[in-house]
Amino acid sequence: MRIDEEVLRGLMVDGLDGDVAAHATLLHRLVPLLRGFYRRRMRGADDDVEDLVQETLIAVHTRRSTYDRDRTFGAWLFAIARYKMIDQFRRGARLQPLDGLEDQLVTAGFEDDVTARIDMDELLATLPDKQSRMIRATRLQGLSVAEAAQAGGIGESDVKVSVHRGLKTLMARVHGARR
Amino acid sequence: MTTDDLVIRLARDAGPVRRGAVGRRLGLGIAAGAVVSAMLLILWLGPRDDLGTAVQRASYWIKWGYTLSLSAAALALTVQLARPDSDRLRGLWLTAIPVVLLAVVGLLELANTPRSDWMAMWLGRTWMACPWLVLLFAIPIFGGLLWSFRRLAPTRLRAAGAAAGFTAGAFAASVYCLHCPEVSAIFVLTWYSLGILLATLLGSVLGPRLLRW
Repeated sequence: MRIDEEVLRGLMVDGLDGDVAAHATLLHRLVPLLRGFYRRRMRGADDDVEDLVQETLIAVHTRRSTYDRDRTFGAWLFAIARYKMIDQFRRGARLQPLDGLEDQLVTAGFEDDVTARIDMDELLATLPDKQSRMIRATRLQGLSVAEAAQAGGIGESDVKVSVHRGLKTLMARVHGARR
Repeated sequence: MTTDDLVIRLARDAGPVRRGAVGRRLGLGIAAGAVVSAMLLILWLGPRDDLGTAVQRASYWIKWGYTLSLSAAALALTVQLARPDSDRLRGLWLTAIPVVLLAVVGLLELANTPRSDWMAMWLGRTWMACPWLVLLFAIPIFGGLLWSFRRLAPTRLRAAGAAAGFTAGAFAASVYCLHCPEVSAIFVLTWYSLGILLATLLGSVLGPRLLRW
């Protein structure tokens, strides 16, 4: 993320030195910055984003003594922002039987995987049986052409041709659907 | 409350912050805890009877040198972990210096002692109590550090908890020196260090629960 490190750092240091106006300006400037940061990571849930922005502002304010004037301001700020986001995930996770962020992330990835596989199954079902079997064997199960040929009881060149034709058909269908 | 209102309210009270505020805050918490530990030690166990003459001997200063230098190294780690951007820890290796130095002293002592006395030297008279007493005296100091952390911003809670436990243990060991009658370096190296290690482990277990903010 591009932030105006020099300006923000200057405001922060002035604020720490007792310049109340600089501190107020800093907090104002952080609001859009933090909104952008959380929106990009929280997809949807605007209430959550605003809660996190406020919590982070409070933390930046009450814990500003932890900023080391010799280090980058951005690193300090986003370390706090990231911590607040992870904390929010943890709090949410405690309401569910799952424990810990890792589980949730794995589950979320699993869902994507499953959805992708369902899409793939639907597409392959539209192809002739041999083509879909050969695509499945070489592209999804990771068999080599020779192995797929042996498993399917057909010649190697037949496998290559089937896969090539099948993929071409699928490609045309997907592009067509997009248009 | 809208975010704009919040910003205005927050900006209203913004006192100046001096450099080194984190270290000062931690120091304050440690000092408060150490006073409690020292009071407990004096009222309950009492300082060692020969404290007046003991401080004239090298063994006492070796012991104190060990615990105080560990305290300093532990505090340096805690200061870093009390900040949110504590990705890279510096000076972890400093912890090894007092340990290695004390080990050298211990080996020299062993070399100058008949083998039949080694066991007695290692276990002393209080080896069973020493680690537990160090852990016990670490608790008030750890409490003081928890107070310090209420205004700090650790993001690696387990590591920060361990560092706080380590610091509490090392300072507790320094307090315990006022009572402990043992003199041998290998005693201190083993049983003091074990007490400090216990405090570190306890801190790492409690950190994720108690240091959240």
